[in-house]
Amino acid sequence: MKGMRKLLILYASQTGNALDAAERLSREAERRACPFNLLSVDQYDPSLLPQEEAVIFVVSTTGQGDTPDSMKVFWRYLLQRNLGQRWLSGVLYAVFGLGDSSYQKYNFVAKKLDKRLMDLGGTTIVERGLGDDQHPSGYEASLDPWLSSLWRMLNMVKPEFLPNGPDVVIQDTVLIDQPKVRITYHNIANDESHFSSASDLTCLNMQIGSARSMHPGKSSSDRSRPGCFLKMVKNLPLTRSNCGKDVRHFEFEFVSHVLKYETGDVLEVLPGQDSAAVDAFIRRCNLDPDSFITVSLREMDDHNTHDSRIPVKLRTFVEFSMDVASASPRRYLFEVMSFFATAEHERERLKYFASPEGRDDLYQYNQKERRTVLEVLEDFPSVQMPFEWLVQLVPPLKPRAFSISSSQSAHPNQVHLTVNVVSWTTPYKRKKKGLCSSWLAALDPCDGIHVPTWFHKGLLPTPSPSLPLILVGPGTGCAPFRGFIEERAVQSRTNSTAPIIFFFGCWNEDGDFLYRDFWLSHSQNKGVLSEAKGGGFYVAFSRDQPQKVYVQHKMREQSQRIWNLLAEGAAVYIAGSSTKMPADVTSAFEEIVSYENEVSAEDAVRWIRALEKCGKFHIEAWS
Amino acid sequence: MDGAVLACTDGAVLPVSQVFDAIRELGNGGLEQWDPLVLTSASLLSKLPVDSSSVDFVILIWLSIDCPVDQLIQEILRVLKVDGTILIRKSSQSAVGSFDKIISSLENKLLLAGFTEPQVLQSAGIKAKKPSWKIGSSFALKKVIRSSPKMQIDFDSDLIDEDSLLTEEDLKKPQLPPGDCEIGSTRKACKNCTCGRAEEEEKVLKLGLTTEQIDNPQSACGNCGLGDAFRCSTCPYKGLPAFKLGEKVALSGNFLAADI
Repeated sequence: MKGMRKLLILYASQTGNALDAAERLSREAERRACPFNLLSVDQYDPSLLPQEEAVIFVVSTTGQGDTPDSMKVFWRYLLQRNLGQRWLSGVLYAVFGLGDSSYQKYNFVAKKLDKRLMDLGGTTIVERGLGDDQHPSGYEASLDPWLSSLWRMLNMVKPEFLPNGPDVVIQDTVLIDQPKVRITYHNIANDESHFSSASDLTCLNMQIGSARSMHPGKSSSDRSRPGCFLKMVKNLPLTRSNCGKDVRHFEFEFVSHVLKYETGDVLEVLPGQDSAAVDAFIRRCNLDPDSFITVSLREMDDHNTHDSRIPVKLRTFVEFSMDVASASPRRYLFEVMSFFATAEHERERLKYFASPEGRDDLYQYNQKERRTVLEVLEDFPSVQMPFEWLVQLVPPLKPRAFSISSSQSAHPNQVHLTVNVVSWTTPYKRKKKGLCSSWLAALDPCDGIHVPTWFHKGLLPTPSPSLPLILVGPGTGCAPFRGFIEERAVQSRTNSTAPIIFFFGCWNEDGDFLYRDFWLSHSQNKGVLSEAKGGGFYVAFSRDQPQKVYVQHKMREQSQRIWNLLAEGAAVYIAGSSTKMPADVTSAFEEIVSYENEVSAEDAVRWIRALEKCGKFHIEAWS
Repeated sequence: MDGAVLACTDGAVLPVSQVFDAIRELGNGGLEQWDPLVLTSASLLSKLPVDSSSVDFVILIWLSIDCPVDQLIQEILRVLKVDGTILIRKSSQSAVGSFDKIISSLENKLLLAGFTEPQVLQSAGIKAKKPSWKIGSSFALKKVIRSSPKMQIDFDSDLIDEDSLLTEEDLKKPQLPPGDCEIGSTRKACKNCTCGRAEEEEKVLKLGLTTEQIDNPQSACGNCGLGDAFRCSTCPYKGLPAFKLGEKVALSGNFLAADI
């Protein structure tokens, strides 16, 4: 039916930025009385796309230029060759991408999507927008003008979508939006009646699952209950103190049950929040920590009606679902706070922060300073928000992902991690620490704390024993390769295995040479890294001498050995910091291929790309 | 044509004018001849007080924001004659937009209850017919239930190379706006600085809090004590927690303090 057509907003979010931008888009649409549907891409059937009148895509690009997980199936559908050039004829679309120009593949997903939709016959409403996290104002510097153009152009081509016109002046008397969630308070006499019959571990699992499943920020692919619980048994420093880095080796044992994992897998850890911070937040917001609540979406669809919701304590909900002392809030929090500020100077300041004129100052105060929700609330003491708004606007507590640095063949009941304890100083000279790494580093193995965890596949597929490997992993990039080498050492006791070349890099030999004894022991006496077996272990110390020496310099020194392995069909694995190392190492590989074969640089680039296409060139990088 | 009309609502009161508006919408003339039977609070009835297959039209004026329960729809199907028509309209008292939210699931409910030919009307209503057969017949549902997306991807089909979607320009990184070298931005001055920033940075670094400033903070703007959200970009107190003006700045020991 013609009258029921709506503007479709599809987002593909990986860390929440695309969802945040899409929600802002939907709020602006609602204020213009524009009917819309807001969906994650994995909730939408792409075969229905030709029936839409107008579609807005908000897509993130992950670190390596990959599509977000929620978009993989959708994107594969769009890439089918048999979709004709007129498949999307008559469909209007616009694309906004969120990316980070410090990565190689800046906003590749948005660029490819925009081109593909055009090739399928779609018509652009506005030119694609590309948000950049490296911009002085963040991605909103591109989003603000893009949104203005979008509404103006949409009003021209589809005026029925905007009955009030593209420019809506929000008057002071206009009420703010309704909160998305509804809080129900329960009168439960027996505190532990729902959980008391279960064991301590099952009780904790149910509490975490309940609290996290009810949070509106939970994406559809998240699993609320931890996959298993781990107990820390070792917490060892790998770096010398005062060398400028703090890298720890953690060993965990399975507590509830042993799950299978493979080398190259990723462990997600739910960090524990500081008790004092949670208490301060509850006190600041005048909440009753002992009340029992359930949280549900206001516009509850039929699916959710049948969910059984177990009431949890409010403090449990805050502790396991809401990030009050680490993540920075979104811009919308300041807009909503301005409605609840009773002091005039605070209200004016909050409105300024939420306006386009104040965007730069907000970015400096909030994002650049990594301001937390608790700090923001303390800076505006007259604001008292209902808990519904806090649930919606406080960032969800996210698990952190770490590459597993052990092999289960070598340590059957254990998981090892190699974690850089994050700390930094903000532009205003305030000290900040990473939430999860600092929490893990402070754990005492004697305390017996149960760590909630999930296991995931990473970007590094597990190699078979007969596959030669070229590994490049400076710094904590060596973590997954420790598992690779442990696994192959176990395999080599029963069968012959293919050789491994490993390039490691760090600052100083005596400061942060991680796992020194482990690598050296495997590179001698016919170990899996030994040159006698065709492998090798090479280290670059970048700060031990006046000139810089990085892993790519060591690779060039071993040009022939690398090419010999590549000619034998070796796979390349690169892991580490995402800034410049992957690009430099890839360039080094191209130079080696070009030099050893006496071919042109373009041919070498093509060769490396073909290696990537057939699944033998893998990069896992983090910022 | 003389026929029987049943008008129901889930509200407590049903104005007759709404009933006649609905009858008019059904496209039947001769309003004077209709004598509808009106039922209120229909959601509370487990059984409609009408004989089976005795009514030509059922009009349901819906007020609530939820869907009618299945039992009510089943009852309406029972009392309708063969080829009879149901019309569900929203009440003029219901919240704006509430009916739109349930209309698609309402359409599914009518189909699943056994109605045919569902038709969503422009005036925020839905109409359907009782089929012209009795219990035991079957036919294919014309409407596909779209509760979950179906991925009809032919995995054998050819995919285009997605890298061909990128142009030369796409591979370039964007030009960030050139920094104005304002003091206070994150990046430090280069070692071989030529724009004068290094000297400015030295001045700023030397500007610390003096004992006098710690003991007796005063300012013309009055914003120094309010916290970083209100401070000027050159305020020497940036990074410190909020404090009361005129009082000594106490660097508290709680986790929020900046340990300078």
